[in-house]
Amino acid sequence: MVETVSTAIKTVDLTKRYDKLVAVDHINFEVKRGEIFGFLGPNGAGKTTTTRMLIGISRPTEGTAEILGYDILKQSVQAKELMGIIPDVSNVYTELSAWNNLIFTARLYDVPRIEREGRAKELLQLFGLFERRKERVEGFSKGMKRRLCIAMALMNKSSVLFLDEPTTGLDVQSSLTIRNLVKELNADGLTVFVTTHNMEEANQLCDRVAIIDKGKIVAIDTPEMLKTTMQKLQRIEFSFVGAKKNVINDLRELQYVTDATKNGDKYRLNTENVPKLLAEIWQYSSKNHLIINTLNTLGPNLEDVFVEITGITPETKQKTVGAKR
Amino acid sequence: MTTNRVTKALRIAWAIGEKDMRIYYLRPGSVIFGILFPFSMFLSYIVGRNVSVEQAIPILVAQTLFFASSSIGPMTIPLERRLRTFDRYLSAPVSLRTVLLGKTLSGFFYGLGISLIPIIIGVLFFQSTVTNILMLSAGVLLSAFCFASMGLMFASIPGQSPGQVMMPMNFVRIPLLFISGVFIPLSELPVWGQSLSIFSPLTHTIELVKGGLGGENIFGSLVNVAVLVVYVLVFLFVGIRFHIINQRKE
Repeated sequence: MVETVSTAIKTVDLTKRYDKLVAVDHINFEVKRGEIFGFLGPNGAGKTTTTRMLIGISRPTEGTAEILGYDILKQSVQAKELMGIIPDVSNVYTELSAWNNLIFTARLYDVPRIEREGRAKELLQLFGLFERRKERVEGFSKGMKRRLCIAMALMNKSSVLFLDEPTTGLDVQSSLTIRNLVKELNADGLTVFVTTHNMEEANQLCDRVAIIDKGKIVAIDTPEMLKTTMQKLQRIEFSFVGAKKNVINDLRELQYVTDATKNGDKYRLNTENVPKLLAEIWQYSSKNHLIINTLNTLGPNLEDVFVEITGITPETKQKTVGAKR
Repeated sequence: MTTNRVTKALRIAWAIGEKDMRIYYLRPGSVIFGILFPFSMFLSYIVGRNVSVEQAIPILVAQTLFFASSSIGPMTIPLERRLRTFDRYLSAPVSLRTVLLGKTLSGFFYGLGISLIPIIIGVLFFQSTVTNILMLSAGVLLSAFCFASMGLMFASIPGQSPGQVMMPMNFVRIPLLFISGVFIPLSELPVWGQSLSIFSPLTHTIELVKGGLGGENIFGSLVNVAVLVVYVLVFLFVGIRFHIINQRKE
């Protein structure tokens, strides 16, 4: 069954209610086999609840989901046999050695004794932990624990990997290592479902992303397609030599500007028509004898798309507005 | 097919139990609640009293069985909930019953191992004699399983710290000591106390251990075994039900 299925994850009206609170509201999406699928959303949007339902920790109130064709409720054992799970915290057994963590995981998945040791050795070597396999994990760095956690998720030769915030709290080198490992595993055919707050990570890693907000899927597409749908988020960023303070007010009055901000010595103008606005800026600088020092045209990044779709605002801004009232 | 499923479940339960033995047996909480607590209560009972070895050894065995076996579930399960290692079981292809069986096994072996120490010491150094090995074995094995199941049942109390489970459990464990013939022999209890004592699983542990070590047995070994078996079933049934209810609330 598994070999012929082209959809790795499929949700059908997946819903979770806690009393009156609807944490996840009839969500439907499909993840293709071999894809890296990003699941993005602000805190409390329903990301973790969705993931916990998919991996069988939490029971859906309504709807269901399939993992490589196996229903997570009716065929939960078969579905779980195909999954590898890496939660947002590295839930490794710190009192055990790296080796014993892997062997225990294999036993939990009933991997035959003859395969266990070879697989553990192979994964420890792949993740750069073989030399320290006999040490208790409590002495490991965060990055090493994270790598061990991924290795544990692969002990059962999983076909679908669930990663929750894979690089949160890690240093740059560890983050890069984890991202490269995920890419390599995906190149070998593993389907990856990654939940992240890190837009740049989603942009770099994911073939497609879904954005969830208030329990509902509000967008689902490739990162580049999502960016191109946000034409109004195109920007021009530039600086003048020796500009006066009121320049920002003049710039706001330009015909093709939808929004204008000053960030340090740079002006950032949002527009839906970059060529026309460029011409206006050029005209304005010539008229006011201003020399353009630097100028860049910027497309929207995934964070802009995310902010636009979810409508989130900085908390400090909300507080200020509240205080004024 | 069914046999395969059962042997697979047993293999996984054993893996969980064995892992718990490596990690939790020597943790301070297990040592305090499982060894030091019953031992200090035992000392407070015998010091200054004229208690014979025949009386003392069964009480120490029963107390260590009672406290040690019932402490592992309440130690490990809340801690694993907090560290999120419990999620590993829930997302693995195993049933919650298998996981809970593994947890019960670790409590069972902890109680068994610790209670064997006073028996061995009694036999080697204090002329204690095993007069009925069957009764003693039944008492030790059934009681270890019974109290491990009791610990499992209390561990279904939602909480992420062992204290949240140990506190309510001690409200039950400590009063049981007074009606089970530990501090006061059953024959010296008032009538209402004697009537209550038959309902305490600890009474039947002491009875069986006493019987096995040459002491008198009031209720009869069949009654003792039957009551302990009923308690095993009740504790397991209630414990598993509550754990399943908790998981559904997730």
